[in-house]
Amino acid sequence: MMIVSPTFFATLGMDMLYSFVIIVTSLMVYFGTKELYELSNHKGIKYFRLAFLSFAIAYFFRLLIKFLLLSLNIRELMELSTQLIGVVSLWLFMYFSAMSIFYLLYSVMWKRWSGKDFILYIFHALAFVIGLIVTFTPSAKLYLLINLFLFLFVIVIVLFSYIDSKKKKKGINLYGIYLLLFAFWIINITDILIPSFLQTYQLLIYAISIGIFLAILYKVLRKCGGS
Amino acid sequence: MKRAKLEIMRDILSIVRDNHNSIKITPLIRKSNLSSQRFKEYYGELSEKKFIIEIINKNGKVISLTERGHRFLEKYKTIVSFIEEFEL
Repeated sequence: MMIVSPTFFATLGMDMLYSFVIIVTSLMVYFGTKELYELSNHKGIKYFRLAFLSFAIAYFFRLLIKFLLLSLNIRELMELSTQLIGVVSLWLFMYFSAMSIFYLLYSVMWKRWSGKDFILYIFHALAFVIGLIVTFTPSAKLYLLINLFLFLFVIVIVLFSYIDSKKKKKGINLYGIYLLLFAFWIINITDILIPSFLQTYQLLIYAISIGIFLAILYKVLRKCGGS
Repeated sequence: MKRAKLEIMRDILSIVRDNHNSIKITPLIRKSNLSSQRFKEYYGELSEKKFIIEIINKNGKVISLTERGHRFLEKYKTIVSFIEEFEL
């Protein structure tokens, strides 16, 4: 019989609360912009919404993985890969995590990438492969390397986009929030892939991540009026 | 590019609304300042999205805004401001 410690409930409770807030925030962004998209059919709004839907799905699977790790008392993620539910959850988590960032990038870049629809297929393929690598390769260093590569890739694109937009107008506000979102996305993935890596700062990471999502939700609701 | 498209849609719908929500196709083409080919494309899209509807009244066949068309005009500023805010 499995012995459940109080730490189990405390850790799971904190993770459940954290995931719940992020999932609800993401879904509020998704459904809050539904009418704007239905009326305009605007591609940017479409991919912006898909990014937040993907965030919601990714965080659901993140919670499931955390639950499996805690309930099966697993310390290393690779042990999870021996069970079907672990394999599926991990792959879906990585796929939707990557796609959420790619969709957000695409929503900002789609005009510059106009007529290059294949880029979106490349993103899907990349997310698919990242999911496979993480699910079936037992190397923490490789996880970190993939995340670092993705983060650098995102930074380069966001910086180019920022420089370009600065020529026209605008401040650093939105790009600052996006960069923080990307950074904490990487930290959140690292936290799940290498559980012991950031354990000391977990509460702080959760608080900042929630803050970033709430800041985006605030911007969305201020513009949409909660439509 | 897309902004311009939304603007043109707004302009066409505004013309219909400002004509007591009832206008014949020929004056609508003239007032929209579009070539007949481009107008045809936009007209098709607006009909497809159910923003406008053709009705027959005592003046013959006229174009009128639907509830959805009115809603688009109401929300136009919000849509544009949202696109600008998030650089979409």
